[in-house]
Amino acid sequence: MRAPESGRGGASGLGVEAGREAAIDEGLAVADAMSRAAGLGWRKLTFLPAVLVVGLLCTWLWFRHADLDPLSENALSNGQVWKALRQHIELTVISTFFVLVIAIPLGILLTRGAFRRAAPVAMTFANMGQATPAIGLLALLVIWLGIGRKAALIGIIAYAVLPVLSNTIAGLKANDPTLLEAARGIGMSPLGVLGRVELPLAVPLILAGVRTALVLNVGTATLATFGGGGGLGVLITTGITNQRMPVLVLGSILTVALALLVDWLASLAELLLSPRGLETGSG
Amino acid sequence: MNFWEYLGSRHQQLLADVYQHASAVFQCMVVATVLGVVLGVVTYRSGWAGNLATTTTATLLTIPSLAMIGLLVPVVGLGVPPTVIALILYGLLPIVRNSIVGLRGVDPSLVDAATGIGMSRLARLLRVELPLAWPPILTGIRVSTQMLMGIAAIAAYASGPGLGNEIFRGIASLGSKNALNQVLAGTLGIIVLALLFDAVYVLIGRLTIPRGIRV
Repeated sequence: MRAPESGRGGASGLGVEAGREAAIDEGLAVADAMSRAAGLGWRKLTFLPAVLVVGLLCTWLWFRHADLDPLSENALSNGQVWKALRQHIELTVISTFFVLVIAIPLGILLTRGAFRRAAPVAMTFANMGQATPAIGLLALLVIWLGIGRKAALIGIIAYAVLPVLSNTIAGLKANDPTLLEAARGIGMSPLGVLGRVELPLAVPLILAGVRTALVLNVGTATLATFGGGGGLGVLITTGITNQRMPVLVLGSILTVALALLVDWLASLAELLLSPRGLETGSG
Repeated sequence: MNFWEYLGSRHQQLLADVYQHASAVFQCMVVATVLGVVLGVVTYRSGWAGNLATTTTATLLTIPSLAMIGLLVPVVGLGVPPTVIALILYGLLPIVRNSIVGLRGVDPSLVDAATGIGMSRLARLLRVELPLAWPPILTGIRVSTQMLMGIAAIAAYASGPGLGNEIFRGIASLGSKNALNQVLAGTLGIIVLALLFDAVYVLIGRLTIPRGIRV
């Protein structure tokens, strides 16, 4: 992970050459490094869950005393809130799994010898793909594959693969070539260099990619409701179409809480799983 | 009716949507850029304020756009207000972050030199620091614009303006002959708009990035 104090180089690296999404992730990574350097890491990590607990508790208390009309009752009764939440988590977890399984090996492949020439093409494609609105992509898939969970899942996965892919490629490319040279020099096989040097060094960026995928997927999963895929988006859309604010607010608050929680868990993973040797460099 | 016939028969409606989409994104980007750069300028010198600005905007970006709109609707109602507020909030993050990173990345010896030739604080900021930090800020603006294109489409669900309406009309009439045409027209329209905006930014970059620091 590049240190924030790397100055101009860091700024222009973030700014000009890096891919869009990579720029965002790198920025987040830089922000994390900054907060870690300032000793804010653990304080930040305990702050968010506390806010979430208080927020959810307030919502719960408010709902116990809110009088709901039949339409709102109907939308929230029979454990439908739990069902929506469960569906949302399932959509997020399944799609993230597939995103990682597709994007990370593909990223590794595109930085290997013969395929390296294809990498700029893939990156351009990835940047173009970012211009596609998620809701349009999802709607097209629903028309193509029919209403249901499958179309929603494929849409969520397709939308997140590109940023994680460009992140992995950027991470592997950013490795110091002299380290790779040294690894080859002491007689490591290409597989050994990849597994024992390149990947460990790229772990922070790959983890940042995982985080992006998770956060993106929680967001895109709210759109699954437009294709009959369920999730918390159901509550939000019901609330908007029926003009029932309690349903709308509950759906939105749960979605926000889930997104923040997922991001928090991912940042925890980043903190715990980053190779120790790299931390002093970024601190 | 095939896609081209559809475009031909609905071009007035479509052009109105394209115009509204572009104008909503453009206006919100202008506000987000001004706010974002000002926030960056105000906070970059202090470690904690800069981190606070970055963390806050990053947290905002974590919130799914549909949920953000869902939280805004009870407060400001349906239509243009939640769209504009959501777009500005989401547009801020990349600009604030890149302004801070860019301004912090300016070589201190250059700022020293500017002080040395008698420049005031404001002159240093406007004539040395901001021009040098401009490339990353412009990248932030590009990232924001592309993101807002998609978020504006979602905001159409809360009766916002733009091409998202075309997509939601298609979703509402799933199974009908025109559903595909409507969704396709909305989606392709947004992609074309995003690419056009991006091309304009590349041009702006060519024209405004000082020759000395071009990569």
